[in-house]
Amino acid sequence: MIKKKIAMLGAFAVGKTSLVQQFVNSIFSEKYQTTIGVKIDQKQISIDGHDMTLMLWDLYGDDDFMKMKPSYLIGSSGYFLVADGTRNETIEVAVQLQSMASATTNNAPFILLINKSDLAETWEIPAETIHSLQQKGWQVLLTSAKENLMVEEAFVELARRML
Amino acid sequence: MEKKTYTSTEGLLEAGKLNELRKLLIGLSQEELNRLQNLLNDPHEFAEELSTLLPYAIRKMIEKGELTVDTLLPFVEDAMHKSIQKNPQRLADILFPVMGPAIRKAVAEDLKRMVAAINASLETGFSPKTIKWRLQALISKRTFTEIVLANSYVYHVSHVFLIHRETGLLLREELAPESQPLESDLISSMLTAIRDFAHDSFKSATPGSLDEIQVGELKILVEQGPFAIIAAVIEGQPPADYRLTLMETIEAVHFNHGIDLEKFNGDTSSFVHTSKFLQTSLIKEKKEKKVRPPYILIVLLIILLSVAGYLLVQRIQRNSKYTEFASKLESIPGYHLTSYSIKSKSIIIKGLKDRLADDYSQIASDAGIEASEIKMHLESFISADSAIVIKRAQRALQPPAGVKLWFDKGVLYLSGTSSQEWQNAFEGKISSIYGIDGIDISELNQQKVDLKWIIPSIEKQRFLFEINVVSLDSQQQIQFDSLVKAAVNLDAYNQLYGKKLAIYVRSFTNRNGNIEANERVASKRAEEFMTLLEQAGVKKELLKGQVLFAEDLTESVYLRSVHFAVFDTKPTQE
Repeated sequence: MIKKKIAMLGAFAVGKTSLVQQFVNSIFSEKYQTTIGVKIDQKQISIDGHDMTLMLWDLYGDDDFMKMKPSYLIGSSGYFLVADGTRNETIEVAVQLQSMASATTNNAPFILLINKSDLAETWEIPAETIHSLQQKGWQVLLTSAKENLMVEEAFVELARRML
Repeated sequence: MEKKTYTSTEGLLEAGKLNELRKLLIGLSQEELNRLQNLLNDPHEFAEELSTLLPYAIRKMIEKGELTVDTLLPFVEDAMHKSIQKNPQRLADILFPVMGPAIRKAVAEDLKRMVAAINASLETGFSPKTIKWRLQALISKRTFTEIVLANSYVYHVSHVFLIHRETGLLLREELAPESQPLESDLISSMLTAIRDFAHDSFKSATPGSLDEIQVGELKILVEQGPFAIIAAVIEGQPPADYRLTLMETIEAVHFNHGIDLEKFNGDTSSFVHTSKFLQTSLIKEKKEKKVRPPYILIVLLIILLSVAGYLLVQRIQRNSKYTEFASKLESIPGYHLTSYSIKSKSIIIKGLKDRLADDYSQIASDAGIEASEIKMHLESFISADSAIVIKRAQRALQPPAGVKLWFDKGVLYLSGTSSQEWQNAFEGKISSIYGIDGIDISELNQQKVDLKWIIPSIEKQRFLFEINVVSLDSQQQIQFDSLVKAAVNLDAYNQLYGKKLAIYVRSFTNRNGNIEANERVASKRAEEFMTLLEQAGVKKELLKGQVLFAEDLTESVYLRSVHFAVFDTKPTQE
């Protein structure tokens, strides 16, 4: 059995937890995020005939009350950077987090998920930004936790890259 | 151009022609032939060559079906049999890694079945304790089995987790047979997160210093190694040295799987063999049952023992009483007991009794035994007991007052004084007395009867009365006994010598006053004496009464007195 630790990183209220909830059935309450700064969920998947157990560490997004704890990232085999498509500044947060996460996880694979793709009317992130990130070698996926768009695909893709 | 001629084999070889020819004919070069030659000459070389071919050959034979498991089986079995006979330890060493897990698996399966059976019985059990536990399970939303375990053990380790320290991923989990599975992967990760949180929050100098988490009665002990941590979920208070057990376990895991841990990339399969280490940490200790003094039982026991003791004492006393009675009865002359038994509140006696034996009612009464308690089954017999023989002799012989009887060793002894008549009579009766073998009368004397003392003994008696008194007073009664004795002797004399000596009872009065009245009283006094003497055994015909007036006598006499005089009613014809 292969087991991998995946971290979910991103600014406050970008939809990390919603994305995880679309993917797993959780036994822990969300209150853990506001208490110890992380909520952990589990998902069994099969990639190319390999059974994998993904342990999803949903890290609390930075805000005025709590900072993300970098120690939670240690040991991650991969991570998601999550940004909110309706808030441009969350991309900047994601970029900053990537820099820190890359160092902590020893350049583990990651995917940038720009969430809330269902909210086209309030979408702020220009295509150029996405394009420039892709140019840097980032894999970027547009997701919607609400509409369950590209959620499972994103997890499967990261899992595949971690193998 | 120079033309060369090949005339010898050597020349041919030199030119390589022969080689070429040989190659054409048999397809082998000289080197190959040399190698084959060497193989045949050198067994070591040959064995080396064959060793590379044999496995292949065997495989081919198996593929062709020329070599099957069935054909190999007898050889393998025989080889194993001989190996075990020769050195059993070797095969034990070979099988050790296989046997351990197999045995553990079998035991675990058995335990699971046992736990299931216990659970089933507990589920169906109905007692105040099980009801209480069932309520606890209902309220706490835990399984009934867990509640039972929590209440039955001082502590028990339900789960042991081996967790990769850096990633928080669960490497291996062991749980007690009776424990419920948990979301172990999530718990392991969360435990790691909590440790990190504690470390970050309190800026602990040593990483991973969170060693213990306690939630109610549940305790999680954590022991860490360089690459992995071990966490044990415990209910209750574990022994003080349990942490040492955890340390030894994590050390053993690191010692045996250090490289796997260091290079861990998510594949947990290589940690399957850590089970044997983790299982050493799955320990438990059963609660000692509280020994509460069973007061009700003790009281009941005391009452029961008191009643039993009372009944026992009663029984012992009664038995003692009955035994004593039987013993005393046995000692009464004329009784012979063959058996006696004590039943409940009665004694049953079987035996023999002489009809002359004394009654036993007195000794029964003395022993405090009611007549109703005695069941006698006595047959009649004739006892040879001395006392009974004497009784029998006395009945038969009717000895006079002066004769004594005693019995010893079958001989009846008689002593004292008796009349000749009685002596003449008893000899005929002796033979009818059972138990007497002989008689000894050497000390039996014949009664001497002499008028010289009989007549004075009678005639000296004087009885004086007050006016109008007829009866004897107490003093006169004693005097009268002497008179009777003398009178009896007179009778004996008569019988002995064929005489008819009689006694005059002379009552004296006078003629002063009422003469008739005086005479009447005097007559009554005479009659009174005659009656008394007759009652004492003196024959009536030997008694004659007389009333005499003092005025008619020449000698002086006491008035109102009675005298006696002996006279012969049949004078000897000279």
